[in-house]
Amino acid sequence: MKLIIGGYAQGKLDYVLSKDQLQEHVVWDGALLDDILSNDGPFSTKGPDRQVVINHFHQWVRQRMQKGRRPEEEILLFLERCEDCMIISDEIGNGIVPMDPFEREYRERVGRILIQLAQKAQEVWRVTCGIGQKIKG
Amino acid sequence: MVLVIGGSGSGKSSYAEEVAVSLSKPQKKKYYLATMQVYDDEGQRRIARHRALRQGKGFVTIEQPVNIQKSLKEMESGERTALLECISNLTANEMFTQEKTTSEAQVTEDIIKGITMLKEETTHLVVVSNNVFEDGMVYDKATMEYIHAMGVINQQLALLADQVVEVVVGIPVIVKGMKIINPSS
Repeated sequence: MKLIIGGYAQGKLDYVLSKDQLQEHVVWDGALLDDILSNDGPFSTKGPDRQVVINHFHQWVRQRMQKGRRPEEEILLFLERCEDCMIISDEIGNGIVPMDPFEREYRERVGRILIQLAQKAQEVWRVTCGIGQKIKG
Repeated sequence: MVLVIGGSGSGKSSYAEEVAVSLSKPQKKKYYLATMQVYDDEGQRRIARHRALRQGKGFVTIEQPVNIQKSLKEMESGERTALLECISNLTANEMFTQEKTTSEAQVTEDIIKGITMLKEETTHLVVVSNNVFEDGMVYDKATMEYIHAMGVINQQLALLADQVVEVVVGIPVIVKGMKIINPSS
């Protein structure tokens, strides 16, 4: 798994798609993705020459939290079935601590999940201004 | 002195602890300077999580929400390492929870003075600060002054520090100086 992080609108998806010159790929939008483990979900689209990319991962976490689910466990189960994927997420923790308790929890949980994913990842890239820096691997 | 910065949930605390432990010789004193003031259950949980992280690492905790240099009085003399966590709480406490609101310039000066003293009086000092600068929001005047104070303080701390490390998804990214330790994974 490769993890790609960076601020909002930094060109993370474009960077990933151009850097790896993926022959074939399927991009899943975390904002629209519901159950990541469903049988017709992302891992049903992987193939020997086809890479699964989960974009807007932070938005998927947010959605799952709103539904009272456990994104921490779901993503690990997903990775067992789709180890060779790419996950793209915004960095959302670099600001003033929000007044709203849900927003606070959201930032904290996205941060902790990304730490876990970074530990599992073969490579971690941070994209700023469309330019990637490899910070692990 | 090492300055460790990062956002919420970046893993900066556990990295800073590893740095403090690795810098300190075994058997020498390690102090954890805690700045957080607790108002509710969430604060209690936060503190409990941090305590659990530190457990077994041999830190003596000193609660010092303001006037950080006063923590020196609680330390034994001799070789000692201090881990200060964190500048965002310390700045908020100095600015907003005194009897009266203290000006941004005064708070900045007091904190830098206090940390300069800590740096001089300890063998190793690790300071944790927070990246509060990248949410693109415009807040009320007091909050904007707070953010600005944090920015100025971080810059001055970076000048004082031998090493500056930004922690990103648990990974230390070196901003100034040489690599200290690798992330434990």
